[in-house]
Amino acid sequence: MEPQSKSSKPIPATALVFIGWLFLMTFLPFLIILGMSFLERTPLGTISFHFSFDNYLRSFQYIYIKVLFKTVWLAFMATVSCLLIGFPVAYHLARSRGWMKQLGLILLFIPFWTNFILRIYGLVALLGNHGLINQLLMQLRLIHSPLEILYTRTGVYVGLLYNYLPFLVVPIFSSLEKLDPSLREAAFDLGANRFQVFWKVVVPNIKEGVFIGSLFVFIPMLGEYVIPDLLGGAKEAFLGNVMVSQFFVMQDWPFGSAIAGILSLLLLFTLWLQTRWSRFGNLKDGGNHA
Amino acid sequence: MPLELSGLTKTYGKDGSGFKLWPVDFTIETGEFFCLLGPSGCGKTTVLRLIGGFETPTGGKITLNQKDITRLPPHKRNLHTVFQRYALFPHLSIFENVAFSLRLKKVGRTEINVRVLEALRLVQIEDLKDRQTHQISGGQAQRVALARALVDRPEVLLLDEPLSALDPELRVKMREELKALCKKVGLTFIMVTHDQEEALQLSDRMAVMREGQCLQVGTPKTIYEDPVDPFVARFIGQVNEINGELFGDSPETYSLQSPLGIFRVKKNGHALTKRLNLILRPEKMRLLRQRSQVQENLIEGSICDLTYLGSRTEYTVKVKDTTFKVFEQELERLKKRKLNVGDNVYLTWRTEDAILLNTPHD
Repeated sequence: MEPQSKSSKPIPATALVFIGWLFLMTFLPFLIILGMSFLERTPLGTISFHFSFDNYLRSFQYIYIKVLFKTVWLAFMATVSCLLIGFPVAYHLARSRGWMKQLGLILLFIPFWTNFILRIYGLVALLGNHGLINQLLMQLRLIHSPLEILYTRTGVYVGLLYNYLPFLVVPIFSSLEKLDPSLREAAFDLGANRFQVFWKVVVPNIKEGVFIGSLFVFIPMLGEYVIPDLLGGAKEAFLGNVMVSQFFVMQDWPFGSAIAGILSLLLLFTLWLQTRWSRFGNLKDGGNHA
Repeated sequence: MPLELSGLTKTYGKDGSGFKLWPVDFTIETGEFFCLLGPSGCGKTTVLRLIGGFETPTGGKITLNQKDITRLPPHKRNLHTVFQRYALFPHLSIFENVAFSLRLKKVGRTEINVRVLEALRLVQIEDLKDRQTHQISGGQAQRVALARALVDRPEVLLLDEPLSALDPELRVKMREELKALCKKVGLTFIMVTHDQEEALQLSDRMAVMREGQCLQVGTPKTIYEDPVDPFVARFIGQVNEINGELFGDSPETYSLQSPLGIFRVKKNGHALTKRLNLILRPEKMRLLRQRSQVQENLIEGSICDLTYLGSRTEYTVKVKDTTFKVFEQELERLKKRKLNVGDNVYLTWRTEDAILLNTPHD
């Protein structure tokens, strides 16, 4: 039924507008960057049209590989942290009723009413040596010298957690919401304790939502540039920051493009993982009608 | 080993403004098929959930086999619930769904195998054991839910509208199977339903509920033939009602004065107040073409509608500004219809077939 309708239906005009937009604003720039990554930089900082793989070979230098692994590792750890904090939040949100639930969801999304950059600067004001948190802790005489949070890895973590947490809470929340409450009751009825209900019934049925939600935050974290830039300082650069500095500081556009290419490859790989997972989910559903 | 509910109450809402279950008292015998019947919001599911252990009562006691289970968690009650939408675990196979409670109890592998297959055989779905839950039909899911609840041999099975998710044809078939299953395993079945036909067919006894109150407990025959409340009479089967007032009584009968005349009703021991409802079942009324010699229990009216249903014909008879339903059995094959729409008829019934009840205050 599906393939037929796909091949016979003409693409509507509104979709063409969208496809055109996507092509002009996303696909074309990407192609330009991809093309540029195979070119060379002249000593003057301009681009010479010589085809070469040099930029990619350069990317495999120790210093860049280190940044790549650090980026993946930090994004991974931040995702795990998001999961550890976000799961209980989603769980309680899904189990609360009435206005408590409404309030929880609103609180979760209130930060998004403020501009992203402003929010990050807000964190700078909170976390800095003369920031609110350090001032308060010192006033209370809990610490003698300010805690080093801003411009450290911790600062980057805090920023990533703060910004990405809702994106993980929501998919987990919605998969918990979809879980039939009588499944929990049935498990209790059949002799499971709270712990067993959670691990033997709740978790197996929402793990797909948890996995997809995790990729949802992991993928954009890989490409993150603003948060490490503003909260991490020079030492805690992500691959995104290295890429940007190649473009705008070193004026080496072809090399920057190569890094962008590698980053894109990484994103495509995780996206592929995600689609593979969700297609597996669809297949399971598809069996329903067979 | 009966299940006893005594003075069981439940109030929702902090200030008692929510739903209230009035004290419920009844005893369900071992091996009995007991139905909780009533319209939605009557509290039947609350009673089931209280028995099942998913809600804590505000007051009262539940004992199973003389053991107080009022405050025990669900799995310590030696009873299981079959949920309305079956609540099968989607991540487990049919076999594992049924084996769930046995695995939790750390029953040995071979015994699990034997008992799960035995339970699946009991509900005739042995061959589905390796399927996933999304690969089976609603009726099959129903059987899996039954097998899962029966596998660790509870004393009581609680069923929450188990047939409501099935299509009508299957529903009727499953009714018979449920009844047979109950007798075969010898367990107490307590089922919630809003379908009066289902309750009549399945129950050994039933409780009719409305707005948090248990109105009557009895066998289907008692409930139908001897309702204690006009609501019960109306909920089970169809009724014609005549409102009136107590007019007088003789040693054998009461008389009721109503706008349609004075009627005599056999005494049945109910304490009566002044305002009364005379309840007449449509199949217990007769239509006469001519005024007979009988002078009592006779109302004149005219036929305003009739429906031939094969085994019976349903007449609607208009009397003044009310209508009466009368069902007449088609007892002879070639009988010509003697009554038509517009005909003047007389309605009559036997004195002992009328039911006289107090008009409720509300």
